[in-house]
Formats: sequence, structure tokens, C-alpha cells
Amino acid sequence: MPDFLNTALTGLLTFQRSLAVTSHNIANVNTPGYSRQRPDLAALPAQRTGQGFIGQGVEINQISRVSDGFLNTQLQVSLSEQNRLEAFESLASRIDNLLADDSIGLNSATREFFAGLQALADNPSSANARQVVLSQADVLVNRFSTLQSRLNGAQDEVQGRLQGAVDDVNALAVSIADLNQSIVESTSAAGGQPPNDLLDQRDALINQLSELVSVRTVIQSDGSMNVFIGSGQPLVAGLQFNQLSLSDGEFGQGFPEIRLGGALGGGLVTPSVSGGLIGGLLDFQRELLLPAQNTLGQTAVALALEFNDQHRLGVDLQGALGGDFFALDPPLVANSFNNTGSATVTASYGNAADLVAADYVLSFDGANYSLTRTDTGAPVAFTGTGTAADPIIANGISIEVGAGIAAGDRFLVRPTQNAAAAIERVINDTNRVAAAAPVTTSIRSINLGNATIEFEEVLDINDSNLLTTTTIDFITDTTYSINGAGSFAYTSGAPIDVNGVRVSVSGTPVAGDQFLVQPNSAGVGDNRNALFLAEVTSRPTLNGGSLSIEEGYGQLVTRVGTLTRQTQVNLEAQSAITNQAEQAQLAVSGVNLDEEAANLVRYQQAYQAAAQLISVADTLFQTILSSVRS
Amino acid sequence: MRISTLSLQQQAVTAILDQQRQLARTQLQVATGERILSPSDDPIGTSRALNLEQLASQLEQYEVNNNLLVNRLSLSESTLTQVTNVLQRVRELAIQANNDTQSAEGRRLIAAEVRELGDELLSLANAQNGQGEYLYSGFRTSTQAFRRTDAGVIYNGDQGQRLLQIGSDRTVADGNPGTAIFQFVPSGNGRFTTTAAAGNTGTGIIATGSVVDTALFTPDNYVINFLTATDYEVVDSGGATVSTGTYVDGNTIEFLGTQVNISGAPDPGDSFGVNPSVNTPLFSTIDNLAANLEQYSDSPAGRAIFHSGLNASIDNLDQGIGVVLNVRTDLGSRLTSAETQESLNSQLSIDLQATISEIRDLDYAEAVSRLNIQLTGLQAAQQAFARVQNLSLFNFLR
Repeated sequence: MPDFLNTALTGLLTFQRSLAVTSHNIANVNTPGYSRQRPDLAALPAQRTGQGFIGQGVEINQISRVSDGFLNTQLQVSLSEQNRLEAFESLASRIDNLLADDSIGLNSATREFFAGLQALADNPSSANARQVVLSQADVLVNRFSTLQSRLNGAQDEVQGRLQGAVDDVNALAVSIADLNQSIVESTSAAGGQPPNDLLDQRDALINQLSELVSVRTVIQSDGSMNVFIGSGQPLVAGLQFNQLSLSDGEFGQGFPEIRLGGALGGGLVTPSVSGGLIGGLLDFQRELLLPAQNTLGQTAVALALEFNDQHRLGVDLQGALGGDFFALDPPLVANSFNNTGSATVTASYGNAADLVAADYVLSFDGANYSLTRTDTGAPVAFTGTGTAADPIIANGISIEVGAGIAAGDRFLVRPTQNAAAAIERVINDTNRVAAAAPVTTSIRSINLGNATIEFEEVLDINDSNLLTTTTIDFITDTTYSINGAGSFAYTSGAPIDVNGVRVSVSGTPVAGDQFLVQPNSAGVGDNRNALFLAEVTSRPTLNGGSLSIEEGYGQLVTRVGTLTRQTQVNLEAQSAITNQAEQAQLAVSGVNLDEEAANLVRYQQAYQAAAQLISVADTLFQTILSSVRS
Repeated sequence: MRISTLSLQQQAVTAILDQQRQLARTQLQVATGERILSPSDDPIGTSRALNLEQLASQLEQYEVNNNLLVNRLSLSESTLTQVTNVLQRVRELAIQANNDTQSAEGRRLIAAEVRELGDELLSLANAQNGQGEYLYSGFRTSTQAFRRTDAGVIYNGDQGQRLLQIGSDRTVADGNPGTAIFQFVPSGNGRFTTTAAAGNTGTGIIATGSVVDTALFTPDNYVINFLTATDYEVVDSGGATVSTGTYVDGNTIEFLGTQVNISGAPDPGDSFGVNPSVNTPLFSTIDNLAANLEQYSDSPAGRAIFHSGLNASIDNLDQGIGVVLNVRTDLGSRLTSAETQESLNSQLSIDLQATISEIRDLDYAEAVSRLNIQLTGLQAAQQAFARVQNLSLFNFLR
């Protein structure tokens, strides 16, 4: 006969435990990552009697965790993307604000520089106007280097944060492997019962890991979890784990590479890791920071080259040729640490208009060179053979390869990435600002015709006869000779190129008329070159002559702004998605106090009822005892 | 759907934080009056505004240049007005002196005044602007334009003409080189000039006529030789006779499209030159005039040479007055175009500012009403939170 005292006892024990589970739930109502637990009650097997099966009470099959693996994965994926976007957005919006800030950005400085040059054109002989040009050039140079150092500062920060993130990933990998061990051990010790709180802890760690980098997880039959990053490289496998490390890239330059190493083997994972803080930092570096640095550098180099070109075409207050106004460092070249040859590679700037905001890798296969862009990997067409006499020329840079190159050698060429930091003004004397043109033109007073002569431009500042007097004599009304030689047909206004200078004669000359092109002496009021100099910032010099320096910078601002905007929009959407994933997970796993209150009442009542049964059993027993006693 | 206690709280807090974020943004917009707080708010708008601001600042600079241009042109204009006055006065004096009733004392006084006026012209030609730049020495603005030497007044400047930029593709010269005003002045009537030979003994006086037939006119050094008192021949520089004729006092002499006037009674053997115009600096014209006055020889032949010389001087002065007037007309038209450009620039500037403001500036009405809506939203979220958080079944389990 079934002993209903025992049955009542199973009820008492079960409801006591159920109350314990409920109070655990209530206690953890605010614990992040906690999944509510539930006692799975089941009736004990019934006892067979002649009258039928009589139940023997209740037991707790298992205390299970209410958790949905699919929702957990969804949340991990959302967290990865969310953190990627947050990292990107926080850095991008800083660059965004930086570029727009009038006190830091390039705009106001180029405007002031332009105004300074115009003022010089207004008063070429004024020492004040000349000083202003020098000062404004300094302001511009400072803006370039400030912007560059802010961008480089962002790069340092990215690297610092990357190091921190890598350390965190490593610590998490260790913890997850440890937890795997505890879980496997606990499970087997408990005869297969799930160690709910350890599982919750591990899920929480996976969530933390997902915030750092996108991961994929697989649960093994023994309860341990394998974690993979990138394109399937193992981070944790059972009780074993790998570690990430940062190392210099192939060229020892710029952004470090992320490597995976340890018990599980590994290799380079930079190209394949994505998502999370690490993914966000890498994306920011690749999509925004490097292009921004390159564009800024391109702008700086183009300005310096163009301005120098124009400045060289002028003469200063003393009548000496202008020379360079700005100085630049040559493009950076770095050797691959795999190189076996001993060749030194040097690069220099060529035509500013051809310059592209990109880095290149020059490689040698034993017979031929090839040049590829690092951002797109696309091959770049070039001319030349790399010798000093015939350098490799591509995209506005020329590259010379020294002796001793070996097959397989590779070189990184960075023409623009850090160029804005190195630009400086080299004209220090106000008198040395070349506001004047090297020659003046004049008509002789003996001329009978009404033709006039105009200076157009300097074609070749290196012409050895540039500063000698040239006479254009009209032999007849329609033909002229230059310095007494030749006979050229005259067209009004057509350019006449003499000794590196282009002039034009227009009007109606008469035979015997003479026009002179002479070196400019004492022409302190001459502003012809200053007018050209003032034009440089708005002259189309970038991207094959389609963009001015101002527009180039504007494009950088727009690009950064657009990327930031995009990221913000995506982040907003992703926040909603993450929120939904969180809510969906909480909807399943989260503790609801009202529900627990109801459970509390439920189990309490059941417990009271079971206790009542004991009292009934006691009464029954007393009844029997008293009947025997009497 | 099941709601967990935690998510109920989280969602409410998230909503409140979100509302606060939007509110802070609107507040900042209202406080700064700017719609675009960072380029990412409107990348396209920012880039347009950047370009437009660049243009606007260029316009500002052009305006500065324009003012400077107007100042310099006005200064040059007023200097040249005085130059014209000087030349007019010299011309009046030359005409006065051309009168035979003039006494020797009168001519001496006139000569002195002409010299004086020559010096005044020199000082006007060496005028400087506020920065100490010589107005009329071309690019050599710190070199004195004209200097008197033993060989007369010489020009030390060059023929440079400085341009100022007053529009994105508009440059205007801020002055004229001295050559164009004082040096390159054609003599005579601009085509040819006349002289009386120094050895003439008759009383023939030559005055420049004009070119009557441009097609026939060939510039050359012609000499009109009087063979008798009434017969003359015209010989070109090669010695060939191009014309002969009979002289009648007061009638014109015409050859090869050229017409000159000879009056009085030339002696046989007297000759007169008809030469192509050459550029004669105004200072030489004035110096020659003064010299002619000072060397006046009171004889019939001397008077005739004197008058011929005066006629040439008056022609040259007329040419000079014409040249200066042309330059002044040119200055005037440059001033006009500077003014036109200025009003164009300021109109453009206003348009630009309007567009920039349209892109950048906040629509206050919209922003303030948005602020109100957001405030209400935040209040509602806060109240809802307080109410919902109060609800718990535990409150009823007593």
C-alpha cells in the first residue's frame, strides 16, 4: 500500500525546492545574463496494486534554464554589429567635427592665405603685405600639421584601443576555456544535470566577446563550447584556447596586424576578423582614417608643389628667381622584412595633378617590376625601368631603385599618408617672396604702329637666356624677326615664345616697330606673379586637374561627413535591432517579478497543502492508536 | 508576449535617454542657431556651404581690391586733371606768344612761366600714392619716374601696368606707365609734322595741315624746296621729286595726300620739312617751346622760324592734351567697370550669404515647435516610467 505520508513528503520537498528556485529567480531579477530557472515537476512512478495504479508523489526532474539558443545567437550577432558601428561612429564623428571646425580645419587658413596673396598683389612692394603672406603660409602649414597630428592621434588611439580589445579577447578566451572545464566537470558530477548558472556565465562571456569581435559558437556533446573568429579560426576549443597578438606588418609601417597563435595553431587574421570593437576599429582605419590621411597629404603635397612651381616662375624684390616656397619630405618608402636583396628604393614627387591618395607596393619578380595599390589591390600602370635615368613614374611619383634588388623583394611607397606633417615654409626673408615676373615687356618710342606687347607667362624658368634682352623687330608690317633672326608671320594676339617666356603682340604694327622683352629690374611694384600665386589654391590641380586644392579638402570633409552620417544611420537602425534582440531574449529568459510572485503563492499553497497531508496522516495514525489503546 | 521586469525597466530608461538625446540636440541647435552642428548632419549641405563660403571670402577680398583700385584710379585721375590743366595753360601761353604784338618782356615772362609749368608737370609726373609708390613709373614703383638731366627729362620707370583682381576672372589695371602719358606723344598732327629750315631767309611760316587722302599718304621725310618765290618742288628722302607747284600765299600745298599750309613770302632757296610723326615726350615739347621763346630773334626771317616752331609746339601740345585725355577716358571707364563689378560682387555676395544661411541656419519656428514636442514626449516618458514602476504584485501580497 502506498504510503501517502511519503507522498506528502515528496510534495513538501519538491515545493520547498521550487520555492528555492523561485527565490533564486527573484534574487537574480537584476543580474545581467541571468536566465530564469524552472523546476520541471514530474509525478513519481505509480505503484501497481490490485485496484490499479496508485501515485507515489512528485519529484523535480530537472531544474532547467529557460533559454533559447537561437535568440542568444541573434543577440551576439547584433552586439557585434552594434559595437562595430559604435566604435566606428565615435571615432568618425570626432574626425568629422575636427574637419569642420573653422579654427582647426583647412578652410579658413586657405582663405586667409588667398587673402594674404591678394593683399600682396595689391601692394607688392609693401614689407607688411609680404610679412602677412609668410605668416599666413605658416598658419596654413600649421593647420596641415595640426590636422595630420590629430589624424595620427586618432590612429594611435585606434592602436591603443585595439591592443586593449585584443587583451580583453585573450582574457575572455581563457575564461571561456575555464568555464568549459567547469561545465564539463559539473555536468558529469551531477549526472547530466545542467549547471545552469555556469551556462549563463558562459553565455554572458560570449556576449562580451561578441562586443569585441564577431564570433561563431558550437556546443559540443560534453557541454563545452567551441568559439571561432574570423573565417573559422579557432579561439576556444573545449578546454584549449588560442591568443591574439598584434605585430608589425610586412613593412614595419603603419597599422599593426592581428595574429592568432597558441595551442590550436593560427596565423594572420587581420583580413578576416570583422564585427565588434575590433572590426569597428579596423574598418575605421581602413575606410576613413587612411583615406583621410592620404587625401590630406595629397592636398598638402599638391599645394606645395603647385605653389613652388609658380613661385619659381617669379622674381623677388632683389630680382632673383623665386625658388621653392614650401619644402616637403620625399614620399616614404619601406622595405619588406622578407626582402633578400640590398636595394634601396627612393621616391620623389612628380606632377601634382597625377597624384592619387593611395599607397603602393612595388614588387620585383626577378625580371619585371609591378606596382599595385594597397587599398584596392589593383595594378597601377607605370613607365620607366627604375634606374636613375629612367625612373618608374606612376600617379605623380617617380621611383628609383638602387643596385642589389632580388627577386621577390617588395617595397611599400606612401606618398601622401604622412605628407601633411612634413610641409614647411622655407622662404624666411620677406624680400624673397617672388611677387614679380622675371621679365618686362616694352614698346620702343620710335614705333609708328599702335601694336602693344603683353607678357603672358614664363614657360621655362631654366632657360639660360631667360634674363637676356630679346628684341622683336618688324621687318614688314606682317613679319617679324627675333633678335634679328628669322622671319615669322605676324598674327595679332598670337603667342610668341622667346627665351623661355611667352609674350603676345596685338594691334597693328608697322615695319620698323620694335618690341623688347627685358629682365625685370627694380620692378618692385610688379604683382604679376603674385596674381598667379593667389590663383593656386583655386586652380584645378588635383585628380588630373579636375579639383582645386580647396575643393579637394571640401571633398574630404564631405567624404568623412557622409561616412559618419551613414554610420550614424546604421547605428540607429542597429540599436533598434539590438534592442529587439535583447527584448526578445529577455522575453524568454528574463525574470518577471509578478510571475515569480504568483509562483511563490502557488508553491506556498501547495506546500501548505502537503503539510496538511502530514497532519492528516498524523490524525489517521492517532485514530488507529487510540482505537488500539481503548 | 512575456515581459521581464528587467526589460520593462530597460525599455523605459532607453526611451527616456533617447528623448533626452534628441532634446539636447534641438537645444544645441536653438542655442547656436545652426541647423548643421557637424558635417555628418548634412554632408552635401556642408560641402556646398564650404564652397560658397570660399566664394564669399573671395568676394570680400575682391571688394578690398576694388576699393584700392578705385582709390588709385581716382588719385591718378585727379593727377591727370592737373596735368591737363598745366598743358592747357602752356598751350594758352604758346598762342599768346605766337602773337607778333608780344613785347620782348612779355615773351621772357611767358618763357619763364612755361619753364615753371614744365617743372610742375615733372612733379605731377612724379606723383606718389599713400604708400610712397610712384604712380607713373610702371612696375618700378620705388624708382622716381622722371628725372631732369643735362640731356633733358628722362624716364626711369618701365612699361609695366599692374593689374588688380576685382572678380574671379576680372582684372583691371590700377594705373598707367609714364611712357603712355608723357613719353609716347606723337608730334605734329599725329601723322606728320612740319619744320622750317633754320637757314630760311624769307618770311614763310609753315603750319601742319592734315592728311587728305589716306590711301596716297606715305610717311617719309619730304622737303618742300622753293626754287623761286613762287615755284616749289617736293622731294622725298630718296631725292626724287614727288610734286611741283606754284605758291600762292595763304593757299595750301598738297602732295601725296598730304596738305600743309605755308603763309608769308618765302625766299628762293628756303625749304620746309614734312616729316613723319615721332613720339615726342611732353617735357621736350615744353623745353623746346621755352627755348624757342628765349631764342626769339627779332627779324622777319627769325620771326618766321619762331612762328613755324610755335605752330609745331602747339600741335605737339594738342597731341599731348589728346593723349592725356585718352588716358583719363580710359581711367574713367575703368572706374565705371570697377563700380559695375563692385555692385555685381555685392549682389553676388548677398545671394551667397542668403544661400549659405539657407543651408546652415536653423528654422527657428520649426526648431522651437520640435523642442516643445520633445519636451512633452520626455515628460510623458518620465511619468509613464514612474507609474509603471509602482506596479508589482508583491504590493498586494500582505
